Amino acid sequence: MSSIIEIKDLNFTYQPGSPYQRQALKNINFILNQGEFLGIVGSNGSGKSTLVQHLNGLLSPTSGEVIVCGVDTANNEFRNQLWKQAGLVFQYPEQQLFEATIYEEVAYGPKNLGLSELDMRNRVYDALEKVGLIPRETQHLAPITLSGGMRRRVAIAGILALQPKLIIMDEPMAGLDSIGRNLMLDLMKDRKQKGNETTVMISHSLKDIWALADKIAVLDKGSLVFYGEVEKLLGKTELLTKCHLELPDYLQVVYSLAARGLKVNTTIRSIEEASSEIIKLLQEAEL
Amino acid sequence: MKDVMVGRYIIGNSMIHRLDPRTKLISCTLIITAVLINYRWYFLLFYTLLITIAIFLSGIKPKIIFRSLRKIWYLLLLTFVFQTILTVGEPLMHLGSLTVTRQGIALGTGTVFRLLIFYLCSSLLIMTTSTIKLAAGIESLLTPLTYFKIPVHHFSMIISTSLRFIPTFIEEANIITNAQKSRGAQFDSPNIITRIKSNIAIIIPLLAASLQRAEDLAMAMESRCYTGHPNQTRISKLNYYKKDVVLIGFMLALLFAGVSFSF
Repeated sequence: MSSIIEIKDLNFTYQPGSPYQRQALKNINFILNQGEFLGIVGSNGSGKSTLVQHLNGLLSPTSGEVIVCGVDTANNEFRNQLWKQAGLVFQYPEQQLFEATIYEEVAYGPKNLGLSELDMRNRVYDALEKVGLIPRETQHLAPITLSGGMRRRVAIAGILALQPKLIIMDEPMAGLDSIGRNLMLDLMKDRKQKGNETTVMISHSLKDIWALADKIAVLDKGSLVFYGEVEKLLGKTELLTKCHLELPDYLQVVYSLAARGLKVNTTIRSIEEASSEIIKLLQEAEL
Repeated sequence: MKDVMVGRYIIGNSMIHRLDPRTKLISCTLIITAVLINYRWYFLLFYTLLITIAIFLSGIKPKIIFRSLRKIWYLLLLTFVFQTILTVGEPLMHLGSLTVTRQGIALGTGTVFRLLIFYLCSSLLIMTTSTIKLAAGIESLLTPLTYFKIPVHHFSMIISTSLRFIPTFIEEANIITNAQKSRGAQFDSPNIITRIKSNIAIIIPLLAASLQRAEDLAMAMESRCYTGHPNQTRISKLNYYKKDVVLIGFMLALLFAGVSFSF
């Protein structure tokens, strides 16, 4: 598999040389392959948002190397074109809406790509459908009239319509109701199933990304304290407590069962697997 | 807007920081009045020197001041150019149909230094005075106006809230700019129309967010019993010390000297 993100010794300092100087990222190294799902977790102020802004060229490293989609972001010209391949959904993206209708809002990105009218419409409709909005019914509405959750969907559709190779989402679930959350999860599952679409998602809670992530990055005070497969994180209880990361409830149940010496499979990834595991255990106990 | 340093309070404990905000406000006004009235070169030079000393005493790195000066560089240059070519007087040289005059150069240099003094003087005030102190100072100085039924307290509350929200506003503008850049907004396009259009994508969401924030803030203040009554007290009271009196006296003396020499 080819790599889509390569980060070598990345350091980043905000406002260097000023009284407000602050080092946000320290010696970050990792490689992400195409088609993988990366979950970035860490507490507030750990540098998650700063890290992802390097991935679509908004920030360039103070020192080190960031290679995205095969090209070094130190190159100014490439960095300014990177938005076409790496779509970044900001935290609370509903705050950036400005067009008069939903259609125009979603079409803003594709228009900047210089697409034809027909291509643009196809992409907008496709993106709206992906976020669960019916294009024909909603395209003429003003985004301002929608609820916060609906506006977020429109904002995300705005990035999906760019059809980037890599999508980066900064806390897309924050403040959403359960319908919105499930929609987001489905959207990402869908991307994952396609096989070649890479997704990076930030969350402050491990629970949100557990079921989806291939790789997990844990940031703590600007340093990458863990990077690797999800399963490998499980054994590191010390790290989990240190970074205040909580496992999903069902995993906690399974783990405490295992800790009591019961024979359960602890490599499960979803609540369904957990329930069948527990049922199996109960059935064995009855026998 | 990445490195907005001007207009931001820089924490410190220097002599200038410790001065009473009213002293700094009054001195600033006196300096500006003085250079408006008298713009002889030695007078302007003296004030420039005075402010340079004040900057050193404040402990603010000169680098920061110089960097902020880059922002008004064009203003200074244009002022100088227009003054030199538009002032009537003894011609020095001809550039096509334009004539540079001796009086023009003198006036241009003078105006540039006056602008520089205004700018340095007010940035030093803002950089060494926290917003709370600044608002308290303004309120206290404007207190006499309450006799004319002018709601000074409201006025100072408006000033302090707006000052308080400048950094938030800038931060938000940065986020929205980045978000629109991620959708391909061309802020650096050579085409000025495209650039203006791109900026609309920032202004509208920013305005919407500010209105929302103003409403939220009003609610939050009301729910903590803010009624706008002027008799609310502040945690730290303002006090005049000897040094404040001396400084204001010195500034007044300078102003009088400037006024009497200008005739």
